[in-house]
Amino acid sequence: MKIIACYSNKGGVGKTAVSVNLAYAFAAAGKRTLLCDLDPQGASSFYFRVKPSKKLTEAAFFEDVGKFTKAIRGSDYDNLDILPANLGFRDFDVFLSRMRNNRSRLKKALKGVKADYDVILLDCPPNISVLSENIFRSADAIMVPVIPTTLSQRTFDQLVEFFKEQDLPLKKLHGFFSMVQSVKALHGATIAEMTDRYGKRFMKAQIPFASDVERMGLLRAPVMATTPISAASKAYQALYLETEKRVMAR
Amino acid sequence: MYLDRCLLLPEKVWKIDDMTQLDAACYSLSLAGAKKLENDGFNKLKAVWTQDGEAVPFAVLDCFEQPLRGSGRLLLETRETLELLLSDGQVLTQSAKRSGDFVSDLCDGPVKDALADLSDLRILMSIGTGEIRLETLTLVDDVEKIQCRAHLRTLTTEEGGALLMTLRGVRGYDKALSVLRRKLVGLGACALGRGAVYLQLFPGQPGYQAKPKIDLTKDMVAVDAANDIIAAYIPVVRANEAGIIADHDSEFLHDYRIALRKIRSVTSLFKGIYKPDQTADLKARFSDLMSTTGRLRDLDVYLLEKQKFYDLLPQTLHGGLDMLFSRFAQERGEEQAKLALHLQSKSYEKEIAKLEKLFRRRKKLTRGPNAELSAGKYSSKLIWKRYRKVCETAAGIDTNTTDEEVHALRIHCKKLRYLMEFFAPLFPQGQVKSLVKPLKHLQDNLGLFNDYAVQQDSLAALLRQLGRGRQTGALELAQSIGALIAMLHLRQLEERAKVTESFAQFNSDHTRQTFRTLFKG
Repeated sequence: MKIIACYSNKGGVGKTAVSVNLAYAFAAAGKRTLLCDLDPQGASSFYFRVKPSKKLTEAAFFEDVGKFTKAIRGSDYDNLDILPANLGFRDFDVFLSRMRNNRSRLKKALKGVKADYDVILLDCPPNISVLSENIFRSADAIMVPVIPTTLSQRTFDQLVEFFKEQDLPLKKLHGFFSMVQSVKALHGATIAEMTDRYGKRFMKAQIPFASDVERMGLLRAPVMATTPISAASKAYQALYLETEKRVMAR
Repeated sequence: MYLDRCLLLPEKVWKIDDMTQLDAACYSLSLAGAKKLENDGFNKLKAVWTQDGEAVPFAVLDCFEQPLRGSGRLLLETRETLELLLSDGQVLTQSAKRSGDFVSDLCDGPVKDALADLSDLRILMSIGTGEIRLETLTLVDDVEKIQCRAHLRTLTTEEGGALLMTLRGVRGYDKALSVLRRKLVGLGACALGRGAVYLQLFPGQPGYQAKPKIDLTKDMVAVDAANDIIAAYIPVVRANEAGIIADHDSEFLHDYRIALRKIRSVTSLFKGIYKPDQTADLKARFSDLMSTTGRLRDLDVYLLEKQKFYDLLPQTLHGGLDMLFSRFAQERGEEQAKLALHLQSKSYEKEIAKLEKLFRRRKKLTRGPNAELSAGKYSSKLIWKRYRKVCETAAGIDTNTTDEEVHALRIHCKKLRYLMEFFAPLFPQGQVKSLVKPLKHLQDNLGLFNDYAVQQDSLAALLRQLGRGRQTGALELAQSIGALIAMLHLRQLEERAKVTESFAQFNSDHTRQTFRTLFKG
């Protein structure tokens, strides 16, 4: 079983859209997949029409395997389950900081459902916190969407710095460019510069800026399911194949 | 169609009882129930029906004695696919391509694997046909999230129909699944495992039982017991006729012969039940019915055991075996055609109909000196006497006794077994079973001894016949037959050597004690 986190310390970069479509792609390829919505806003649960779980408090999440397992919901697609978020998840940090061994609690919580899945995808809230440290330690890979703009570049740099400071393996980071607009000169230049600086840490697949992705909120389904032939779907499929190669094969 | 014959079988009428189950994964619903389901609500959930493709023809397949029906499975064949529905909701699918009608003739796949428990001597045959339509029912909530699915197969036949639903729950939405289940059960749905679907699709089609259940009681008079047994087996004889004529598989003839043999053994073993001249007449008439079938059965056995014969001889002699078996195959074809004609002849129909009527009306059946004895006393006496005979004959057998003595022991054992099986309902079930099991073992030993002897004789006869003609390959054929006779002789000696020990195993302290308590008056 592999744990793959979709993470960005900056919001609005297409993180949830990636979580949702990657989870869909893994499941469609026959992998038993669980998408954990750790973002209290519950956007990925919303995309799959799964309502917030009422009973899964932060304490139960980390301490009660039975409740954790019970909160899991089947999606409308084969092989794909969702652990929906609720607003209580916003207190994860406070809760975790009070716990002993608080940096490895998430891994322990996920252990309980390990046998049920081949892949667990984590849709993470956009901040650097005790929870994100937990995520960095538990995940086999951390997918980081980056909009090729100066501000996004800066947050990626900050993330790399954090990894270095905390002595976390940089190899876990898999950056990719998101919401790319090829007409914008700045996008092109940023991509070139970052690829040059980070080399293998960036994946080849890029997700274009597309209205199809925005419409996911209306249709409440992965774009790969509703318009599989769109450019966005093809880009997610390429991203999935590259992720599969980088993470699952190892 | 030959299934019409089955309609004559009154014993086994499939019954629905207690078929509601709230944890099943596959249900069958009557078409009326299905109509109601369409118009019903599901609490707060919305039902979405989606049709999957057009209606196509289907056939339900099973062996003649319907083991799939008995085990709560349903095998559907459409033009291209075989689908096996299991009671746990699993649906196995594979290509319908096949080279014949036996399970071994199906192409490899999950359905074939799941049918591995069926007899390899029985073909799969269509027990009925109709049209099938596929649909999916999903239950969705207020945001259109799917909370439960069901795959629907609407089967319509000439006489009825059913809606089969395999339920697919969605993790975390157990309530939706139980809403659907409760709704189905409320509409009278039955779990697939209970076999009700067969009644819904093909109402009035009773099943076939090679060993019909006969309700005997200790206080009934012996003649009634005899008549009931015979009356129960005549329909078994008749039910197999069409399968023999159509040459579906060798089991039709086998069951046909066993049923006749049982009837004949009632006439010969139940002494003094009818008046002597009627006993003689019945014995002769049932024997006559059997006599036309013997050679075909012998040839069936040769062909079924073909590989065993090849294994007995070195490869250098296989050429002769090829010739021998092609002769057998040819002769079998001729014998089968002959028997088929005979079974369709007016004289046969007249005779069997007469016998049927005789045991249905029973007015013309006479009563012998033992007719009015109670079945309990009468059967105990017969069984105890036969058991003593088995023991006496067995006691005399050592390495020097003739083969005839061993044959005599075999016949006594056979008669004992028939008597015990006929009257089993009158005695404690477990105890009779505990006697029959070791007896079976002894009979297997004696049966093989006999088969080897009979086969040697028939091969020797064939050899003598060969000596007269001058066909090409006669020498090669004769060599193989000669070798085969030698090998069969060896096998027969091996079986012969086991008889004393087999008997000792059968006649344990427990056996002796049980026979004494159950049957000694």
